[in-house]
Amino acid sequence: MRQKRYEKGRKGQEENRNFSNLNFSGKRKSTKAQEEIVGFALIIIIVAVVILFLLSFSLKNSEKESVESYEVDSFIQAALQYTSQCEINARNQSVQDLIFDCVDNEVCSNEMDSCEVLNSTLRGIVGESWKTSQNTPTKGYELVVKGNNNEILMLKEGNATNNYKGGLQSLTKSSDSIEISLNVYY
Amino acid sequence: MQKNKSGQMKIQQMAFMLIAVTLFFALVGLFIVNVLFSGLKESATVLEEKNAILLASKLANSPEFSCGDSFGTSRVNCVDFDKTMALKKNVKAYSDSDFWGVSGIEIVKIYPLTQGNTLCTVENYPNCGRLEVLKASSGTGVSNFVALCRKENVEGLVQNKCELAKIVVTYKDAGS
Repeated sequence: MRQKRYEKGRKGQEENRNFSNLNFSGKRKSTKAQEEIVGFALIIIIVAVVILFLLSFSLKNSEKESVESYEVDSFIQAALQYTSQCEINARNQSVQDLIFDCVDNEVCSNEMDSCEVLNSTLRGIVGESWKTSQNTPTKGYELVVKGNNNEILMLKEGNATNNYKGGLQSLTKSSDSIEISLNVYY
Repeated sequence: MQKNKSGQMKIQQMAFMLIAVTLFFALVGLFIVNVLFSGLKESATVLEEKNAILLASKLANSPEFSCGDSFGTSRVNCVDFDKTMALKKNVKAYSDSDFWGVSGIEIVKIYPLTQGNTLCTVENYPNCGRLEVLKASSGTGVSNFVALCRKENVEGLVQNKCELAKIVVTYKDAGS
């Protein structure tokens, strides 16, 4: 009887010891897992920083746009100097003069309306310079001529896409103010 | 013996981990270098292109080509057709000294397109569509819009006539 009680007590002691051992290894595993999580998080942070760095580099390419819109500005300046078929005071009017004539409702010497000549001339110039089709880089354009804040001419061709370059030119003559804007869609 | 084995395992694990981390950073480094260098090449091309476009505009406004005050008021992006035609005759002096630093200069009429693609000569001037100031052998061409102006005799009266054209400048690529 005594022997039995002694053995029971010993067994109990051994179980208790094993249990405390188990607890200890569980704690160690938990610390190791925490360390691994911290390492993983560090790697993720490093990768995120690298990705952000690369993204900032790739988003910096806005310089090309300003160069390309320079072409539109040059076009407007050159088109304004074009000599039209409208003759007033024995002199063929330039597109720039023709816009002011149109605002003032002037009539050309061949009895043609200055606005009509302006429309046909600009249609020809813009159409020939910015050919629009699915096979060309230019998908469309929109030219607006405003005189004293009133729209006097609007030419639109092709599709208006989100990728476009624009140019704006303002002119003033006595009391008239003109604004020419051109958007070319790619 | 058991402890020794476990130590070896740990050393192996560490070695593998070190190799993996080194490989990872080497790959990331390669990727960054690749992106940086491709960007550098691209920015060099963009810069070259920008310079060429600006050069096209600069050439159009240079004394050799520009209209100046010949057509009434001072004009920008205006090429004097008569002057350029005269320049074509003496272009050898400019090309020999690489005066403009480009390999080709050409003026192409855009509107009206009545003369098509006919090359301008003294005989057919001004009824032509293309004036080759400096003939380009190879390279990249960039263009800019200009007004091509000349003096015209209409029924005894000298009149200014401006058409729309493009000045095409050909430059040698950075790589070539």
